[in-house]
Amino acid sequence: MVAMGETVIDVADLRCRYGDFEAVRGVDFEVRRGELFALLGTNGAGKTTTMETLEGLRAPFGGTVRVLGLDPFRDRAALRARTGIMLQDSGFPADLTAREMVALWGVTSGRRATEDVLARLDLAHRRDVRIKQLSGGERRRLDLALAVLGRPELLFLDEPTTGLDPESRQRTWDVVRGLLAEGTTVVLTTHYLEEAESLAHRLAILHDGLVAVSGALVDVLAAQPARIEFDLPGRLDVSALPMLAGDVVHRPTGRVEVRTGELQDDMAVLLAWAGREGLRLGRIRAHHASLEDVFHSARTGKEVVVA
Amino acid sequence: MIAALGVAELKLLLRNRTAAALAVLMPMAAGLYFALAMDGEETGWTMVVTLQLLFSFGFTVYVTVTTALTARRQDLYLKRLRTGAASDVVVLTGILLPVVLLGLAQAVVLLGISVGAGAPVPARPELLVLAMVGGVALSCAAGVATSGVTGTAELAQITTAPFFFALIVGGLIGSNGAVELPVFLVPGSGLGALVAAAWGGPADQIGPAALSVALWTVAAGALAVRFFRWDPRG
Repeated sequence: MVAMGETVIDVADLRCRYGDFEAVRGVDFEVRRGELFALLGTNGAGKTTTMETLEGLRAPFGGTVRVLGLDPFRDRAALRARTGIMLQDSGFPADLTAREMVALWGVTSGRRATEDVLARLDLAHRRDVRIKQLSGGERRRLDLALAVLGRPELLFLDEPTTGLDPESRQRTWDVVRGLLAEGTTVVLTTHYLEEAESLAHRLAILHDGLVAVSGALVDVLAAQPARIEFDLPGRLDVSALPMLAGDVVHRPTGRVEVRTGELQDDMAVLLAWAGREGLRLGRIRAHHASLEDVFHSARTGKEVVVA
Repeated sequence: MIAALGVAELKLLLRNRTAAALAVLMPMAAGLYFALAMDGEETGWTMVVTLQLLFSFGFTVYVTVTTALTARRQDLYLKRLRTGAASDVVVLTGILLPVVLLGLAQAVVLLGISVGAGAPVPARPELLVLAMVGGVALSCAAGVATSGVTGTAELAQITTAPFFFALIVGGLIGSNGAVELPVFLVPGSGLGALVAAAWGGPADQIGPAALSVALWTVAAGALAVRFFRWDPRG
């Protein structure tokens, strides 16, 4: 076992192609031991292509990728016993039972079962049911059970909760948090930004085959301006507002939006002003940037790298 | 790992009733029919034995390998297996093994039925063994290659037809005894000629026949390497 913080995955100038189309166009990031690293982006941004390269399923077109110090494509065999992979599609043969699939995977994954994974994922009662008769959520849980079989030190989860009901999603999160507590390193892709926000330590947002934003979750969120929103009483114009640190936008709907790096100060000024003037600001709302905000600004342009 | 993959594949094969019926019942019924239709005749058995072997290898091995690999790829099971520790060769071997054993077992049972129905014992059994080994190898390689150009398991019924019929027709001509050299360009002909030679047919055809089987196997293997895909999305 090596100390936390050591680099487990190192990606430098990664390029991947499908024929003439360059899906990943020079991506850099690193994943450190014991953390959950989220790889985010819209469909077609290059997430799954990047994941498949890290998993050793495809050779990079250019750049270097090191996983646990090895080349994932060439040293696939050596890496398999140490990494668990949950692909976007489960890849189950419909006519095997859950128990048979676990038994088969215990042999072919190179990682022997050290516990009852079906019980851990609440599938014990479905052991002898054929996979085609399992519900979508149960299948995805079986998929996770196989990925965590034998407690791999590095886990790849490609959209593990897509299509799950809230309860199954919660159970998946609990399992992932449990693994993180045990020291497992996790690389996660997801379309649910609140999922990444609640689980990730660090992240990269891909856009158009490039890293648009990367860094620690707290830093990435802090780098984005916070927002204050309210309805201005009809007779007033934004010119009546007091001096604020942030930028003020008056929407045609009458709603005012303040994007500010100084949320607390601007709130104090704004509320004091409204109090003095005897105004009621309608539907007032103030919040720090969410990953959703970061995501949208990443899609509209410039690269933001937060160390 | 090969054993675990093979056992899983055998279960999958037997649990899919259509595939199981096609792989097991069809060649057995056909082979039994050919033997019984001889009605105790003394001559003409090489054609019957050739047909029995080619139905076992053509249906049970070739068509089943094509269908199974296509279905497993469609299910993304092949892609999943590649995320495990088994190498590509081990994965393929594991999936092919039960089909190969089933095909060989069927061929042996059908040969037994023929002998029971009055066929003479082969004069040179080693040539029969060579035909069986070559036939299985050729059918496996061709099945892997054909699955590469087969999009869905249902389509396998169409994509396997040309090579399957070439095997049968080639085998029938080859088993006839005196074969012109160009005939050995047809895939099953070498197998037919080897069977004929096993039952005392012309010995000068053994070389070209064995070469035909070997070349077809190598060619199918090369096509398999070229066309086989692990992931439906390429």
